[in-house]
Amino acid sequence: MATEQKQTEAGMQRWRMTLVLVAFASLLLLLLGRLIMLHTIEQPFLFEQGEKRTVRSELQPASRGMITDRHGEPMAVSTPVVTLWVNPQQVDPQKMSEVAKDLGMNARDLVRSVEKAARQGRSFHYVKRQVEPELAGRILKRRIAGLYGDDDFRRYYPAAEVTAHTLGIVNIDGKGQEGLELAFDQYLQGQDGSRKVVKDLMGNVIKQLGVDAVPQAGESLPLTIDLRLQYLAYRELKAVVQAHKAHAGSAVMLNAKTGEILALVGQPSYNPNNRATLRPEHMRNRAVADLIEPGSTMKPFTVAAALESGRYSPSTPVNTSPGYKRIKNKTIRDHRDYGVLDLTGIITKSSNIGVSLLAHDVGPEAIWELYTKAGIGQPGTLGFPGEATGSMPYPEQLDELRLATVSYGYGLSISPLQLAEAYTSFVDGCRKHVSLLMVQTGTQPCERVMSERTAHQILDMLETVVGKNGTGKRAAVEGYRVGGKTGTAHKVGRSGYEDSEYTAFFAGLAPLSDPDLVLVVVVDAPQGQEYYGGEVAAPVFSRIMEQALRLRQVIPDQPGEAQMLQVAGGSR
Amino acid sequence: MSVLQGLLWSLVIISAVAQVSIVSWHRDLLQEWQKADRLRQELLQEQTRLVLEKSTLTAHGRIDTLARKRLGMKDPDHTQVFR
Repeated sequence: MATEQKQTEAGMQRWRMTLVLVAFASLLLLLLGRLIMLHTIEQPFLFEQGEKRTVRSELQPASRGMITDRHGEPMAVSTPVVTLWVNPQQVDPQKMSEVAKDLGMNARDLVRSVEKAARQGRSFHYVKRQVEPELAGRILKRRIAGLYGDDDFRRYYPAAEVTAHTLGIVNIDGKGQEGLELAFDQYLQGQDGSRKVVKDLMGNVIKQLGVDAVPQAGESLPLTIDLRLQYLAYRELKAVVQAHKAHAGSAVMLNAKTGEILALVGQPSYNPNNRATLRPEHMRNRAVADLIEPGSTMKPFTVAAALESGRYSPSTPVNTSPGYKRIKNKTIRDHRDYGVLDLTGIITKSSNIGVSLLAHDVGPEAIWELYTKAGIGQPGTLGFPGEATGSMPYPEQLDELRLATVSYGYGLSISPLQLAEAYTSFVDGCRKHVSLLMVQTGTQPCERVMSERTAHQILDMLETVVGKNGTGKRAAVEGYRVGGKTGTAHKVGRSGYEDSEYTAFFAGLAPLSDPDLVLVVVVDAPQGQEYYGGEVAAPVFSRIMEQALRLRQVIPDQPGEAQMLQVAGGSR
Repeated sequence: MSVLQGLLWSLVIISAVAQVSIVSWHRDLLQEWQKADRLRQELLQEQTRLVLEKSTLTAHGRIDTLARKRLGMKDPDHTQVFR
């Protein structure tokens, strides 16, 4: 080459040629050096940046477990939905107006909010969450650049307000907020999956680099609730709350032999499917979270304590004259002077004087022991959020006056659910622990409260309450022997007990020949002329019990037996 | 030397072709899986929709009113109860 140049020399000097060559060679060297640098020193950094731009970590939400009733009927179901979002940096805001039209949103608002997000430099903006999959599919088919859809789930409650208090509610992110959804959140939730993928421009996965977690659907949770009984209890409770313009109400139905909760309803309720109408004061599960003074529904327990002492029988006479009694400047009254009543008559007529005489005779220790065994003042065992723990004064605190008030259900507090649980002890003298989950049923042995003999005697007494001379005759169910106890408690206001605000109760069992169901009905602050437990709560008890016994196909009692016992009870 | 060279060359060619075909196979499988996953998602939608539909149609209150209104059924009278 050099010789050629020498030959074709046209005034060009040799050093210029060398300069050009050196310049090119050094440029080449520079490039080579850069190449080596990129491949060695900067390689990890560049690789990472490259991955960041192509590899997506994709979250795969797990579906939340179903909550079902005891027969597998769905009570809470998660259904797939799509969350639509845009990257405001990539999307043309004007295109959002047609999306808004499809979604039934205000076009101008959406365009404006996307524009604002773009100005603020955001790269994520929700268009709408929880969109129906079909509609979202139609919108995504338009392939608007910068518009994306993510899979998600929405919780739906088929029975709506009927089961709202028991099930609770989840928030928009699918996390439990109330009730069972909160208590068993971990169990229901499952495990979200995530994987690393490379996606093309259309959002199709072209390469899967690895799976970090496989999505695992949440477990389903079968409850002991029977949806049919739940429906009918709710319907009847709602009717009575409306008819009496009551503030609130609740009803609890238990299987008398196992303690399984078959129905748990409250009023006022709410529709968990429509979050816009939620009102916190309606979300309270009154049957579990509210404490009430059980009033006269406690009297059978006082009488049971007397029978257990061995010094009384159902026909032992007690003189309740003159129908009032003064203890420490307070006067305890009966409705009228009932004269001499036997123990059965004390329950039939719901005599305050009668039970306070019995309580004073057996003493505070015996009363406290039996009440405590019946679960009064004990913490709840369901694990339900906000589950109430009642109160029961210690024997040392039970002076003459407090012992008297406790004997007829004042000065202590329990939840309607605990009252129902306590009543299961009249079946065979043993209190069954309530359960709301199928798996919980029968895990705890029952607690002996009284002897079987005493329990049977109490059941016979409770039947007279529903008989024609009793305070709860409107609780009767034709064809079945029913027993129960009415209760009417003054509500506690700012300055002690209110004179004109009441809570009406009825707690009872049926059929008495072989108890199948325990039902407690509480109506809070009924307005108007009728407010006694026997007038407000007993008819609801009768209606719910009648339909429930039929639904459960319980064999009616022998008519002769029932009538005979009613006559025997009423002859006093 | 030239035999070894030839062998190495052919190995390089074989492994290159194998890589390409494996990558293509991976993509095919991935597409298949994606289709299956989409189908699963659709079936899940369908299933939950049907579950909800069934529970709405068989709701206690609805059956009760249908039985009364359309079929003219009523609660048995007490005199009809078997005793």
